[in-house]
Amino acid sequence: MVETLQPVLARALEAYARLAELGEAIEDEWSYVNDLADAWRDRLSDVADARGPEPVPEAVGRAVDRAVGEITLIDDPHRAIDWLSTFPQVVLLAVGEAP
Amino acid sequence: MRFQDAARDARAVVYAGIQADPLVARAAELLADATHGQRILARAVMNGESSDPDAWRTMFPTLFDAALGDVDQRPASDAILAAALAVADRGEQVRSQVRGALVEELTARLLARRVGATAVRRERRILFDGVRAEIHPYDVTVERDAAPEAYDCKWGARGINADVLYQLDDARTHAADEDERLSVGLVVFDATRSCQVRLDAQTAPHEGTSIVTLEGLDRLAEPAR
Repeated sequence: MVETLQPVLARALEAYARLAELGEAIEDEWSYVNDLADAWRDRLSDVADARGPEPVPEAVGRAVDRAVGEITLIDDPHRAIDWLSTFPQVVLLAVGEAP
Repeated sequence: MRFQDAARDARAVVYAGIQADPLVARAAELLADATHGQRILARAVMNGESSDPDAWRTMFPTLFDAALGDVDQRPASDAILAAALAVADRGEQVRSQVRGALVEELTARLLARRVGATAVRRERRILFDGVRAEIHPYDVTVERDAAPEAYDCKWGARGINADVLYQLDDARTHAADEDERLSVGLVVFDATRSCQVRLDAQTAPHEGTSIVTLEGLDRLAEPAR
């Protein structure tokens, strides 16, 4: 069965929320972390709203899941903040969107 | 207004060694001709935890999957992946310095395409009459009479802070006080969206500073419009 974009991006957003929680551990960057996460969450959600029912090639689902796997390896909050910007760019590129 | 070499203190000597690392030059050369997607790949790998190239190839199907991407770009994507993994392999502290030096080298190379290599300098201070000199040098400068430019470079949006914005804006306004036009810019190897979020929280002046982000790096090589 061919997967659609909606569940792929839902998995990405779920992992992204965990990453943001980790980044919040840097108290001086709490506002930035939340503003950054909001901005990228909105972008990913817009893509899900616009293209959610669209079938995606298997390679795209694998790419997003591998990116999710990459951010689950992160345990350092500073690194998490780096990835709050990087992860959405990787996901958007995988699904054929410009960041 | 005049340009001057930065003092060769201990930090500068150590950092010069990083800047001279052949890996920095190799990665900058590759990234100067890279697509936006390839630059995102470099950013991700150099920030990443995984050292398995196949993991990254899976993550970037539009660069490595022939069914989804441009096969002609595959050799360049492989070369960028290899260079980025070599940077990531340096360990956390060194990789951070290498990433910073890489953005500077990339900026210098792109600027050189527009103004010629001889006009592009690194680690330079800018002196103004009657103004106490900043200790911190500018990462990259374009030194020519008609249209001088000064840039600081950051790996990520989080590097945007009040100090760097004030320093760039101060240089611009001091130059204007001397009836000189100095263009100032901050080059950030990160997405426009992330930079905008960071800038929105800054009160330091930046209206006169050009913010060059990952999406717009090639602008450095193009004549002003």
